[in-house]
Amino acid sequence: MSRRPVRRKLTVHMLRDKLGLKPSKELTDMLKRQTEIKVKITRALRKQPKTVPEIAEETGLDTYTVFWYLMTMFRHGQVEEAGKTDEGFFKYKLRER
Amino acid sequence: MQRILQEAEEEQEEEEYDVLVIGGGIAGETASLDLADMGFKVLLVEKEPSIGGKMFLLSKVFPTLDCASCISTPRMAATAHHPNIKLLTYSEIQEIEKLGEGDFRVKILKKPRFVEESLCTGCGQCEQACPVIVPKEYDFGLRGRKAAYIPFDTAVPKIAVIDIDHCVFCGQCERACPVGAINFLQKPRIIKARVGAIIIATGYKLFPIEKKAEYMFKKLPNIITAMQMDRLLAPTRPYNAVLRPGDGKEPMNIAFILCSGSRDRTVGNPLCSQVCCMYSIKQAQLLMGALPLADITIYYMDIRAFGKGFEEFYQQAKAMGVMFIKGRVAKIEPGENGDVVVWYEDIENGGRLRKATHDLVVLSVGLLPNPEIVKAFKNVKLELDDYGWVKPRDENISPVETSIPGVFAAGCILGPKDIPDTVLEAEAAAAQAAAYLREVRRHG
Repeated sequence: MSRRPVRRKLTVHMLRDKLGLKPSKELTDMLKRQTEIKVKITRALRKQPKTVPEIAEETGLDTYTVFWYLMTMFRHGQVEEAGKTDEGFFKYKLRER
Repeated sequence: MQRILQEAEEEQEEEEYDVLVIGGGIAGETASLDLADMGFKVLLVEKEPSIGGKMFLLSKVFPTLDCASCISTPRMAATAHHPNIKLLTYSEIQEIEKLGEGDFRVKILKKPRFVEESLCTGCGQCEQACPVIVPKEYDFGLRGRKAAYIPFDTAVPKIAVIDIDHCVFCGQCERACPVGAINFLQKPRIIKARVGAIIIATGYKLFPIEKKAEYMFKKLPNIITAMQMDRLLAPTRPYNAVLRPGDGKEPMNIAFILCSGSRDRTVGNPLCSQVCCMYSIKQAQLLMGALPLADITIYYMDIRAFGKGFEEFYQQAKAMGVMFIKGRVAKIEPGENGDVVVWYEDIENGGRLRKATHDLVVLSVGLLPNPEIVKAFKNVKLELDDYGWVKPRDENISPVETSIPGVFAAGCILGPKDIPDTVLEAEAAAAQAAAYLREVRRHG
């Protein structure tokens, strides 16, 4: 008879329960917004490679925000370069996993 | 974190070392290695999760244009692996008490990483799993890092840290860790040590240039500090190329504004920071290599090229086509398409007020003292000079001795200086600490 593995309680939850810690509303709101931005950028890049101004136009985000998140995603291996325009903008595309 | 730090447990036993070195930058590493090679047992305490200080963040060093991380990374590894050096990272000095000559009692707070140091392999899977992004300190906010993160690729030690202040307690990092190294039940510890001598090498702070409101830093995205520019030029850079942060465009017309927050009484820092002229000239030369078609302009009051090879380095930049304009920048305004308009007094052409448009502006910010360690001394006083730098006992005869016998200082804690001078002082401090210990022990 197979036995179901016992699920260990995570230490993060033990700490949270012990000290009564919970993320602030500010932090959870920030996380929500970050997730929305990453989803918007990912969707914008699904069809074809784009520059930062092109992504900004499609998503309605400002170019600074798009570039900041794009470079964070670039560092974590989620996007990569895909050529450069004559105006000096790189195009980026989603990295195949 | 404050809530968790209240749970700190004090260790009962005192550890014994010959020398305590505070600060794991290039000065602290050099002093530690010199002492350890002489056979002294060294305790090196660094408040950040990795040693390396500010030098390894730089692209290259002036005037030789040697790769900064190629020099500092092997030294970081040598420091961490030396059998005579005990390294405590992510730790802060809480108290220093002088009990007698050659005898100091020290309390050190070891903050929890929430990662078991003996288990973590630095694989970065916790970082991949973490959903929270916050500005990355080591890239001066140019991009984000996760709340669970490895400080940087060549961190020493390469061990993850959980930024508990930004943790949402989702447990993704703990589930992702393949070796079970994440441990949120890790507690802060207060380590007690007895040491014979102390070397302070805690470096400097960068001037917070947002205090100079007319320079619009943090108001316009295409105005960055020189430290951010050094990150853009470094091999471990945050972007895929030298790009402006406002929209990711390759800049073609870059301006440097020297003496931003130094030699300026209006912001409370009348001193020259000694390195800004040369690091700006270095960056200008590197930019001409990275962006051969770009125009580079340096706005200066006067160029202080006082070291060996510095004047030649300055002349080389001029010969490469860097434009030098003598004139203090009075104000900065937003231009079109993210460009930046600079108003300046053109001193060499009759002192007229002129304006120029650049697509990226770099503020060559000055250095400020970092005297926080003063508070840790309980029964002795560490004297500072009028500006907040640690005051040497005698600037001409013993420049690395402080007002407390047995406590030495090296590098930018004593005043602004470049890397060779910092290394020289670190070696001097190590030699003087060794001489002090031998003298005290001979008589003790």
